[in-house]
Amino acid sequence: MGEIKPPPQASGAPVSQPSEYLSDDPRDIGWVKQNVPCQTACPAGTNVPVYIREIIERQFGRSYETNREANVLPGVLGRICSRPCEAQCRHGWPGNGEPVAICHLKRVAADLKDAGHRITERLYSPTGKRVAIVGAGPAGVAAAHDLSLLGHDVVIFEREERAGGMLRYGIPEFRLPRGTLDIELHNALRLGVQVRTGVEIGNKDGQMPMSSLQQEFDAVLLATGCMAASPLPLLGEWEQRELRSMEGVEYGLDFLMEMHRGVEKTVGKRVAVVGAGFTALDCARVAARLGAQEVTIHIRTAEEYIPVAPEEIFEAKREGVRIKGLRTPVGLTVEGNRLTGIEFVQNRLGGWRSNGRRQAIPIEGSEFHEPCDTIIIAIGQQTANDYLGTKLELDRWGNVRIGVDGMTSHKGLFAAGDYVSGASTVVQAVGHGRQVAKRIDAWLMGRERRKQVVRIVPVDKPLRERAFDFITRQHMPTAPLDERMRDGKHEVELGLDEKLAFEEAKRCYLCNLRYQIDVDRCIFCRACIEVAPRNCIKLVRGVEIDEQGAYGKLLETKEWNQVGAIWIDNNECIRCGQCYTACPVQCISISRCELTEVEI
Amino acid sequence: MAEAAKKTRHHVIVGSGVTGSQAAETLRECEPDARITILTLSSLLFYNRYDLPKVFRGHRDWREYLVYPATYYRDWKINVRRCSRVAGVDARRRVIALDHKEEVHFDTLLVASGGRGYIPEDLTDFRPLMHGFSSYTEAMVVANEVPKKGHVIMLGGDMIGLDLARTLLDTRHRVTLVAGPYTFWPHEVDDDERPALIAALEKMGIEVLEGADAGGIVSIEQGAPGLSARRVLFRDGTELYGDVVMPFFGLSPSVEFMLGSGVDIERGLLVDPALRTTTEGIYAAGDVCQIWSDAERRYRFYYGWKNVRAMGDLAARNITGDDKPWAPAQDEKLHISGDGKLQSPFWEYA
Ligand SMILES: Cc1cc2nc3c(=O)[nH]c(=O)nc-3n(C[C@H](O)[C@@H](O)[C@H](O)COP(=O)(O)OP(=O)(O)OC[C@H]3O[C@@H](n4cnc5c(N)ncnc54)[C@H](O)[C@@H]3O)c2cc1C
Ligand SMILES: Cc1cc2nc3c(=O)[nH]c(=O)nc-3n(C[C@H](O)[C@H](O)[C@H](O)COP(=O)(O)OP(=O)(O)OC[C@H]3O[C@@H](n4cnc5c(N)ncnc54)[C@H](O)[C@@H]3O)c2cc1C
Ligand code: SF4
Ligand code: SF4
Ligand code: SF4
Repeated sequence: MGEIKPPPQASGAPVSQPSEYLSDDPRDIGWVKQNVPCQTACPAGTNVPVYIREIIERQFGRSYETNREANVLPGVLGRICSRPCEAQCRHGWPGNGEPVAICHLKRVAADLKDAGHRITERLYSPTGKRVAIVGAGPAGVAAAHDLSLLGHDVVIFEREERAGGMLRYGIPEFRLPRGTLDIELHNALRLGVQVRTGVEIGNKDGQMPMSSLQQEFDAVLLATGCMAASPLPLLGEWEQRELRSMEGVEYGLDFLMEMHRGVEKTVGKRVAVVGAGFTALDCARVAARLGAQEVTIHIRTAEEYIPVAPEEIFEAKREGVRIKGLRTPVGLTVEGNRLTGIEFVQNRLGGWRSNGRRQAIPIEGSEFHEPCDTIIIAIGQQTANDYLGTKLELDRWGNVRIGVDGMTSHKGLFAAGDYVSGASTVVQAVGHGRQVAKRIDAWLMGRERRKQVVRIVPVDKPLRERAFDFITRQHMPTAPLDERMRDGKHEVELGLDEKLAFEEAKRCYLCNLRYQIDVDRCIFCRACIEVAPRNCIKLVRGVEIDEQGAYGKLLETKEWNQVGAIWIDNNECIRCGQCYTACPVQCISISRCELTEVEI
Repeated sequence: MAEAAKKTRHHVIVGSGVTGSQAAETLRECEPDARITILTLSSLLFYNRYDLPKVFRGHRDWREYLVYPATYYRDWKINVRRCSRVAGVDARRRVIALDHKEEVHFDTLLVASGGRGYIPEDLTDFRPLMHGFSSYTEAMVVANEVPKKGHVIMLGGDMIGLDLARTLLDTRHRVTLVAGPYTFWPHEVDDDERPALIAALEKMGIEVLEGADAGGIVSIEQGAPGLSARRVLFRDGTELYGDVVMPFFGLSPSVEFMLGSGVDIERGLLVDPALRTTTEGIYAAGDVCQIWSDAERRYRFYYGWKNVRAMGDLAARNITGDDKPWAPAQDEKLHISGDGKLQSPFWEYA
């Protein structure tokens, strides 16, 4: 902890600032990072409270644009995002209820905007620099968009027939309709980005070698994702056996990719899916749609630890998918070359692994058998590096290592997305793609061209009512089972209509509102404390300033002679507006603080 | 812990079913001076759920179902807090959070929160049109809904539902069973045993329709005035008309308030044979726990009155210093009696 300052003077934002202004004071930047947990948790840095507020104002198009500033795929992420923001949402903190449905509201902005909605882009003059991107997944597309806005000529090389990466070849249509994907990809890439599909970078016949890209372009970005399905580690005689050639054995990633390339896939009556991530769940749901009579997902730990939204697990169960925990496959049973079942060992739960996952510990002598006709192996995917032709420095997980400048160990060769992080999420890929695009721009131009500031806008009244705090989370309407199973592509989640969206949007506390008391005008009548719904207004003697220059701990006191100020603890504050209304001398002000970027 | 402090520990039990109530009694025997608190969602003191089918025989006064009079709890110094929903457990601080925002401190905790009627996810949309049977209140609602000689459509079956079916047939109601994988729950029944068991149900007077043969249920609907109150529609066009639809698909453990507490959960709370969870000082017993079975090399549930009572007793003894392993107290085999009817050990209770 650094210095201690009395509160009023510590404020970077003068309490009675009359109009909007920009601040690069670290205390203000720190304030937003601490106080708007959803935005901080979003890898793309989406300005959540602003877009939710725009939904309340029924400005769906503006809300879409606010999203688009951070992420060019709002309609896509509004459907399939892994929602790290919701895990941090203040509304979900203990005692506050359930998190705001941030993701569903993103979809609302995309779905309810005008049909003739015009997108806005801030274009820079052409720089004459050329950037090649390998891979048209979310990381590559997000980076291409930003680099083209910044004036560079961008060419994407993609080995599949169409752009989208796992969005098109992994995620099934019943979760992500291709119409939505196509429009957003088109919008992201229409500013002059050239997409060369059907071109695989590599050293084999018919492939384009990396070296030619490096010669032709000023910078190259690798965004080739994780394209290799992890093999299933079995024991004993099965340890060395090649599973791929066996009848009834599928690797989940390949299964889905082939299906999305148009290959007709079939499964047996009894399908066992092994794995616990997006791929496992999607494979199981696809298998149910392909007519399997019994689909079971077998997981090593327990359902509680499946890193997929609970609603999605529930929908899978509605479709007939069963989940069985505490088991690891150790072998298969076969008749000739045809699969007849799986040998498992029973597990108990162990400690936590360094990647935040729960460990499973096999129990000796507890093997058991479950019959099945198809096994779909979906225990993860890895990066493939063999196409590079050069050796790059790797980290201990075998992923390529990049520096803070986004560059690999090879000059001018950058990397982003799953290719760097290992299998992760779409929003992480988008966020990382944008981040590395900024680094590439700085490298090409020899300087940073944009910096982060806080826009502080005075707000003349509380934007919320106390009653909003009691609204419960709105449920996502879904398609009737029969409809979705009849047509395997039928979208399952139907989206919130305007009424549901409005109710849900009202729940957001708008954490970007900063309530402050002007201590010089405060008469210490405590009226605000009396109406406060929680312990949010405190008597303090000072506030610590942390190493980054942001506000730290409040130094509370109960001794009147030590009270330096009456201070709103923005961490506790749920922006209900009660204090603002109660203060007899109007010394409480509200300002909206939002992160934005400006040219340097 | 000092002996004096040990004597006045606060033992908290979540749940006032057979397990929780038995545990409280044993705890009191073992530690006469300890504080014992039962937290329960139930609005009634411990009552006999197994007798609930009797509502159809006209036994509708809740007092008839109470196992002990209120004075018992006073005499045994067992503090029962009814209508209290446990919302979370902080194992590190040893604090239980109640739904109404109160915190209760514990020295030891026994989770005996049982299970609630499981409804397969594909039927959850129709929940408002189905009648549950897991509490006195629910039993009264359904009893009021079914007319004399009325028609009850049972989905699933299970030993709880089939027990009720016996009473319903006896009281001249009509029972149609939509059979499926849960029909004999919690008994594990092989495919080759099944036809004879289904025949035994028919012999008892139950009309049986195999749900899968009709393609599964598509919808449950409410009839307009003057028509049957419920229609169950199957994929092949089969329809069933009845006065109520009751789901009986076994139980799903009530563990939601333990998520994030640090205690290991698969479907139920995972416990070792001494009924200890993976967190020190926290035990689980009854329908909520999955016990490690050395013989079967897996975690498994044990149901039934005798079993859960024995578990409550054992947990209390282990909480107060014993270290004994669990041994099943109940036969699990389904029988067909001499007259061709089904007999389950779960239907035998004192
Ligand atoms: C209607 C019915 C009839 C049955 N009939 C028979 C039978 O005839 N024979 C037989 O062998 N078995 C029968 N069973 C099976 C039965 O479930 C048992 O095995 C046994 O009753 C389980 O006892 P328990 O104490 O573990 O749980 P339960 O009896 O289910 O008790 C759970 C307790 O936990 C409380 N609780 C749950 N969640 C919370 C929370 N969040 N906060 C606070 N309290 C909570 C509940 O209010 C309840 O008091 C029947 C079950 C039902 C539902
Ligand atoms: C089945 C499945 C479901 C998923 N569901 C979700 C979800 O619901 N939510 C979520 O957040 N995340 C989900 N994910 C994860 C998510 O899709 C990825 O994290 C994300 O797509 C990574 O983006 P990326 O751009 O880094 O890579 P990718 O999307 O993998 O794109 C890489 C691209 O590079 C191309 N490429 C590879 N090698 C070459 C080469 N040599 N030459 C040319 N092109 C090449 C590939 O064809 C591909 O188009 C899911 C993943 C899978 C597999
Ligand atoms: S309440 Fe609103 S602004 Fe606050 S964290 Fe949740 S979504 Fe974000
Ligand atoms: S707006 Fe005022 S009263 Fe409401 S939570 Fe924030 S500080 Fe407390
Ligand atoms: S109500 Fe206004 S004047 Fe009174 S203590 Fe609060 S801030 Fe100060």
